[in-house]
Amino acid sequence: MKVKNIIKYLFAAFLMLQITGCNNDSTEAEPLFDKTPTDRLNAQMDELQQLLLSSPEGWKAIYFTDNTILGGYTHFFKFAADGTVEMASDFDQSMDTDEIRKSEYQIQLGSTVSLTFTTNNWIHLLSESDNYPIPGLRSKGYLGDFQFLYYGQENGEIVFKANRNKQEIRFVKATKADWDNLSKNYDMIPNVIGSSARPIFRLLETNDGTTKHQFDFSFSPITRFAEANSVEAGFSFSYELGVGYTPTGIVVNPALEVGGQKLSNFVYNDADGSFTSTGTNGVSATIKYSNKPLVLTDDYKFLLSGKGNPYKYFGYIPANLATAPTTSNYFKSLVAKVNAALPANQSIASIYMYFNTAANQTYISYNFNGGKASVIHVVKSTEDAANKTIILSHDFWAGGIAAPAYLKEIDDEFTNPKGLYVKKENFKITFSNVIYTFTSASDSGFRITTYIIN
Amino acid sequence: MKLLKYNKIAILALVSVFSFSCVHEDQPTESQLDFNQPTKTVLDNWIDTNYLNPYNINVQYKWNQNTVDNSRFLFPPTIDKVKPALEIVQTIWLKSYATIGGADFVKKIAPREIVLVGGVNLNSVGTRTLGLAEGGQRVTLFETDYIDKTDRSSVTEFIHTIQHEYIHILNQHKPFDEKAWAAITPAGYTADWYNYEIPVSNEIGFITSYARLNINEDFAETAAMILISSKADYAKFLANIKSATAVAAIKAKEALVVKYFKEAYNMDFYALRDEAEKNTTAVVNN
Repeated sequence: MKVKNIIKYLFAAFLMLQITGCNNDSTEAEPLFDKTPTDRLNAQMDELQQLLLSSPEGWKAIYFTDNTILGGYTHFFKFAADGTVEMASDFDQSMDTDEIRKSEYQIQLGSTVSLTFTTNNWIHLLSESDNYPIPGLRSKGYLGDFQFLYYGQENGEIVFKANRNKQEIRFVKATKADWDNLSKNYDMIPNVIGSSARPIFRLLETNDGTTKHQFDFSFSPITRFAEANSVEAGFSFSYELGVGYTPTGIVVNPALEVGGQKLSNFVYNDADGSFTSTGTNGVSATIKYSNKPLVLTDDYKFLLSGKGNPYKYFGYIPANLATAPTTSNYFKSLVAKVNAALPANQSIASIYMYFNTAANQTYISYNFNGGKASVIHVVKSTEDAANKTIILSHDFWAGGIAAPAYLKEIDDEFTNPKGLYVKKENFKITFSNVIYTFTSASDSGFRITTYIIN
Repeated sequence: MKLLKYNKIAILALVSVFSFSCVHEDQPTESQLDFNQPTKTVLDNWIDTNYLNPYNINVQYKWNQNTVDNSRFLFPPTIDKVKPALEIVQTIWLKSYATIGGADFVKKIAPREIVLVGGVNLNSVGTRTLGLAEGGQRVTLFETDYIDKTDRSSVTEFIHTIQHEYIHILNQHKPFDEKAWAAITPAGYTADWYNYEIPVSNEIGFITSYARLNINEDFAETAAMILISSKADYAKFLANIKSATAVAAIKAKEALVVKYFKEAYNMDFYALRDEAEKNTTAVVNN
């Protein structure tokens, strides 16, 4: 091709480019939005502002800062157009956080449109580096945030995600009654912790419509967090639940999955102290009390007399074991009663239980501080094989003394005719000694935690 | 046809294309961004009058994630606590420097922004960070919610922070004699300063344990500690140190601080201390 022709074609091509340039035809990408990003952000900021102001009684949120270790903290917000917000929460009764406090808020642009509580109020208590519930959260407070990224609306709720850890927070429209009832959340706390007046075993029972499963249940009020582990052999499953208090019960997060349904709202029943969440088609979950241990063990058998069992003894030492989770409040109240009946300088230093000593005796030894000699109750042991308990019955008091009146109540529990459940626990406290618990089978709520010493 | 003719046609076509193309393009209109200033509160106006206008210092007390470390669990101050904290800073720090260094001293060399944080900045090793100075431009003060204006030690601890951070800013403008400083107590510097009790650090020639982190912190701590103490208290502090070498080391550092203030900024360091002392008393007694 001649140079002249090349130039000709080049011109032609160039002309075509010029003519088709700036043509709004299909060669251009289809615009996804009909407004510019700035327009859309402005609109969204406006939308959020209007939304916050739209609920006359403000909004309610149960803020689960991290539902893998902590529970939920209920907050109420009432926004005003002048950039102030009134707030109340159920964070801490001793600080009166349920009283309304005013501070400021802003709609800010972060990684997206966000709601930020710009000056101090109750919600900031969740983000206080030197106020943390457990040593693992040192310098992290309650992992809370107060800048919430706006993710739109769903069923009349405003959906946010925490700026820090992207935990979801939902603002639900509040009513006047909601605000008034906030302090009732505090009243629910002892019900969740559990009462010493109720049976001492607690369990979570799930029902998927056909099958029931049982889980042991423990709750830590400091972190508002519950754990439930399956007690059934061959069925290994655990629930870890953040707990938020409501005037009528609790909300758990993550929701409990039973038979494909998600259960999160539990209603409290004061008659039996249970919390129940009901789904459809017979699906339900209940946190309730039990008279009996969930699993009965044969651990009592090696303590029985007349079966050639070796000498064993166990000690309850208040300094180390009074705070054990397995030491029941009822037991502690009986110890306190004994101490109150004793002279001021005397108190129970320890309680030992001896089984099958060299002299072939089984006895309970009450030991005292303040120079008082030990008091020993010699007993006989028999078993209730059906209910798996060891029954200790009166033989005589050492030294031929009459039964001391101040020990009667506590001693009656050790020697109750229904016997004691014995359980080798799988945790240890302070020392390497294995922990054994003895629980009354009489429904009284009596449970003692001991070290096996020999 | 001649090449020239083609050229003419081509140019004609080009010109026509250019003159018609893209005529429908939008002209820039008013900005879509919202430039409206937020309504100023009484507090905001007070800050303008007392910080922004006289010293050209902006005060940020409302939460802004861009000015704080988001990995820390901090929170903004309570509104009612902002003004008292700023009054303390104004009286003890700004006014003292203005009196001794001249009215415009702080205006010229100052952080352009003070950020107030309400809560404690607790570190995972258990220490508390009381303040930060960044690039000579911004000072962040923590724990403003916990200042008790009537308690001298509470006021002093808070002022210690800003005095300390401001020394950093002065150093960032004009360096001190680092060589001479480093030669005084070369062996005492350590990254785990927080494991040492203050009296232990005093006995090896450091005014506080934090001073042992590096020579920059040492300089800032030495200057700040002298500034927040009265002459008598400082003399008593030195008298309580048993090691004569340690006292000599601290005195040598003190001399370098005095020299630095004189040479770099033509200021009498002791007069500054006395002024700060006077103003501290005024704050506590008010």
